[in-house]
Amino acid sequence: MKKIRKPDLAVIGAGPAGLAAALAARKAGLKDILLIDRDFELGGILQQCIHDGFGSMVFKEVLTGPQYAQRFIDEIAGTDIEIMLSTMVLDLRADRLITAVNSRDGMVEIQPKSLVLAMGCRERSRHQIMIPGFRPAGVITAGAAQRDINIDGIMPGRKLVILGSGDIGLIMARRFTLEGAQVEGVYELMDHPGGLTRNVVQCLNDFDIPLHLSHTVSFIHGRRRVSGVTVAAVDESLKTIPSTERFVPCDTLCLSVGLIPENELSKHAGVQLDPVTAGPFVDERMETSVEGVFACGNVVNVFDLVDYVTKSAQSAGLGAAEYVMTGRKREGGIRVEPGRNVKYVVPQFISDPSRDVDFYFRVEHPEKAVTARVIAGAEEVTKKKHRMVRPPEMLQSTASGERLTASGEPSKITVEVIGSDEQA
Amino acid sequence: MDMHDGNELPATAAVVIIGAGISGCSIAREVVKHTPDVVILEKETDVADATTKANNAEVHSGIGEKYGTLKQKLNVRGNLLYDSFVEGLGIPLKRQGLMIVITPRTLPENYTRWLPKRTVAWLLRKVVPRLILRNGRKKGIPGLRALTAEEIFTMEPHVTKNAVAGVFDPTYGLVSPYKLTIALAENCVLNGARVFLSTEVTGIKVQNGKVTGVVTDRGEIAAPIVVNAAGVFADEIAEMAGAGGFKIHPRKGASLLFDRDITADYVRSSVAEFRMFRKGSSKGGGAMPTAEGNLQLGPTAIETDDKHDTSISAEEIQEIFDRFYYLLPDFPRSAMISAFSGIRAPTEDEDFIIGASEAVAGFVNVAGIQSPGLAAAPAIAEMVIGILQGLGVPREERADYDPVRPAPPKFSELSNEERDRLIERDPRYGHVICRCEQITEGEVVDAIHSVIPARTMDAVKRRTRVGMGRCQGGFCGYRAAEILAREWGIPVTEVTKDGDGSWVFAGETKSFEVAEDSAVPGGDES
Amino acid sequence: MTSKHEYTCINCPLSCALELTEDEGEVLGVTGEGCKVGTKYARQEFTDAQRVVTTTVPVRDGSLPLLPVRSAGTIPKRLVMTAARELATVVVEAPVKNGQVILHDLLGTGVDVIASRDLEKAGS
Repeated sequence: MKKIRKPDLAVIGAGPAGLAAALAARKAGLKDILLIDRDFELGGILQQCIHDGFGSMVFKEVLTGPQYAQRFIDEIAGTDIEIMLSTMVLDLRADRLITAVNSRDGMVEIQPKSLVLAMGCRERSRHQIMIPGFRPAGVITAGAAQRDINIDGIMPGRKLVILGSGDIGLIMARRFTLEGAQVEGVYELMDHPGGLTRNVVQCLNDFDIPLHLSHTVSFIHGRRRVSGVTVAAVDESLKTIPSTERFVPCDTLCLSVGLIPENELSKHAGVQLDPVTAGPFVDERMETSVEGVFACGNVVNVFDLVDYVTKSAQSAGLGAAEYVMTGRKREGGIRVEPGRNVKYVVPQFISDPSRDVDFYFRVEHPEKAVTARVIAGAEEVTKKKHRMVRPPEMLQSTASGERLTASGEPSKITVEVIGSDEQA
Repeated sequence: MDMHDGNELPATAAVVIIGAGISGCSIAREVVKHTPDVVILEKETDVADATTKANNAEVHSGIGEKYGTLKQKLNVRGNLLYDSFVEGLGIPLKRQGLMIVITPRTLPENYTRWLPKRTVAWLLRKVVPRLILRNGRKKGIPGLRALTAEEIFTMEPHVTKNAVAGVFDPTYGLVSPYKLTIALAENCVLNGARVFLSTEVTGIKVQNGKVTGVVTDRGEIAAPIVVNAAGVFADEIAEMAGAGGFKIHPRKGASLLFDRDITADYVRSSVAEFRMFRKGSSKGGGAMPTAEGNLQLGPTAIETDDKHDTSISAEEIQEIFDRFYYLLPDFPRSAMISAFSGIRAPTEDEDFIIGASEAVAGFVNVAGIQSPGLAAAPAIAEMVIGILQGLGVPREERADYDPVRPAPPKFSELSNEERDRLIERDPRYGHVICRCEQITEGEVVDAIHSVIPARTMDAVKRRTRVGMGRCQGGFCGYRAAEILAREWGIPVTEVTKDGDGSWVFAGETKSFEVAEDSAVPGGDES
Repeated sequence: MTSKHEYTCINCPLSCALELTEDEGEVLGVTGEGCKVGTKYARQEFTDAQRVVTTTVPVRDGSLPLLPVRSAGTIPKRLVMTAARELATVVVEAPVKNGQVILHDLLGTGVDVIASRDLEKAGS
């Protein structure tokens, strides 16, 4: 019988979330920490995000993904945090028993006192959005293409159409071009871009790559390899308009059509998932519905900024440390409701309103001249004006514990976005 | 990459089988019990790479087939033989039964419009189940029993509440059509048969009304017996011999596939809706798990002229939702992970054509094998070996025939102790490369070095399931390609999805070829 | 002869559509801005658009085949594509340290190209 490892904390995933959670737990005094990742090195998705734009909040510098990761990797190297790489977690139980495997140790069982889930996301695939046509080689998701190019040094294709104008699609339009490929165009189902304007300008406009809004791919051609796609405009109900169909020759269709938090293990452990975020319900310490199990980073919801990932992960690491060292159990929980023009808020619960809370939320639709507010009971706790809010850009608001409990413990907390003229 | 592995075609063979689908490989295995001198020719890059790979995995009981047809008889016989058929191959057969539900859609509206509601309800609840049972008994289907609505909802709580009654068909089963075909082919090879992939038959040699050999795109084989199991191309092959007289009219069918874990939460047996007086010749389809447990909705049935048209249209996808979602209405659409489509090979008469040609001695047609081709496979093989023995194949079984085909280890199904033993033997079994299906590098290497080696991404996928999970190859695609490249000693840019023209990677980064100059292959379809 | 140029401001989610008018290179004015930052942005984009370049560089004897690199500062936008081609010809020898200069004075801009991470030798 192999010995079961029993650390104080196990962290599944060593991308930006896992790295920050492990370090925060260490700084809070937790001693025996194990960090597990399926990849051969630390850094997670950051290692393939070679573009800049990371760290303006956390480090007050604009870094590339690998540079951002290196800061945490260097810091971890100075600690005694144990690292297991090239290790795949196969199963997770509600009592936190982890079953994992790697080539060196074989099957490994880990029973940590606390657990942080930091598995990130997977990408939505072609069939999930039901693109008709053949099923040739040459249909690839943007993240997979990014890894092919930036880590493995391989070009997935030379003449591309990109479907989806989220940041990954935009970034890849530029990346393909800088490696000598030709991007015919970026097609976006909605009537507004899915990513940051900065990326539309610096990845598309800079290279004269057209962005076709309110368009989609309605057929994939080619039996063996993609030979082209049919693109079409869509109407208000997002149905294709047949008279607008047009054949675009290409050898690759690159899809950037959404990220899905990878919660298969969370489900096995009985963690309750929020259907709107597709991630676990969490409280302000990122604790899930299962005691001693915390979650952070993109597995909770798709954050835009890695800086927010780091902050949420630090809360999770602190939470795990508190749980192990003080035996603090999560009780009750005040529901945090999304209010007007707010699609979702994380955390969804507050266990202890006397402490400061970082709220992360997204609006449902774009709106100009608004005020974002956090309301506890009947009290306005935070208030911030925005000239413009858009769904692709996550909003953040810190509410102090003092103000949250100014009129006693609130029964409900609401996060809403109202017109700046509409204030009470 | 050399798709032929350098193997030369033999000069002669006792039996040549054209087509390495489920029919060809089932027949081959029967023959190889009597003589090792069997050659299987397959024009695709792998066995089970055409119609068979898109099969819905159903081992029907035979209840859905028209009484008196050859396919109905062979279906019932085949179903009976199935357990012994798969024995020794390491392929699981799941007899989990089919729930046939009767709903308000069972009787077409133009029939029921003139009847009072209570009459229609009585017909559906009382009369139709008895009709089905009687029909089933006539066809020799064992074990059928009627179900009340309450029984349906107890057995399958997520089935549509529109179901008013039903029939349970317990001998219906599920088997992986391509894994079975690969196992059959491997057993043949282990027993001395030879399989030649990427080898296309271009002519049949006939002299004095007798078959004398087969001409392929890389040489000839002299043979006195040729079995035509060429699927959608069976009519063309028969014409080459002058043993034709039938036409295959292709009919494509698409199905949608859903996440396995979520399927397990919603349904256990297959569910089909009984529809009377329907137009069209293909069976109804329904909501069926695959042998591995992924829910399938479908298939559609669309006539086509094009034997290569495996495309799926937007209308087909909509049709699948309209027709089959009805059966499991609360099944989450977001659980969809894939879609697939294949071409059936029916004849004009919609029945099997299995027999020795009268015009050309030694030429045996096994054509028109559409559904229930998978269920009937053991019986087809039984019928054909009888024909071949009449043509000269020995009647006695070989003493040295080995019925066992050792199945490769499947990491995801082993216990922790078994996994540890595997990893100790070879650490590559500890390196998981497909996260969704939990498949290890060791298993991919096994597939590449197996009895019928995997040469393409699809061949690896069929043997190991790499790329068949939630992320559809997003995580594992490059890793599988890398292993293929390493094991075959080729650059990763030569790896293909499914043979010639289906290149996966264009080249290395840092090579600034102008896009127009570089080959943009793939103009293989309009 | 006056010409007009369009820019989308990237400073905040408003993404104002800016229009800059110029005559023989002299900026005459900017319209469409929501705030002063937009005016400044349009002028900068017209007179001297600057970009950070990020790409990968082949590595010899490294634990990975490629090293991600970045320009230490910004370079003129019109040089970005040339810079990418130029960097494709550079080969770096492992081990590499984060921040190490891979190429001095990219295309005469005075800006260095540096490694974005540590990269060890193969087999370490």
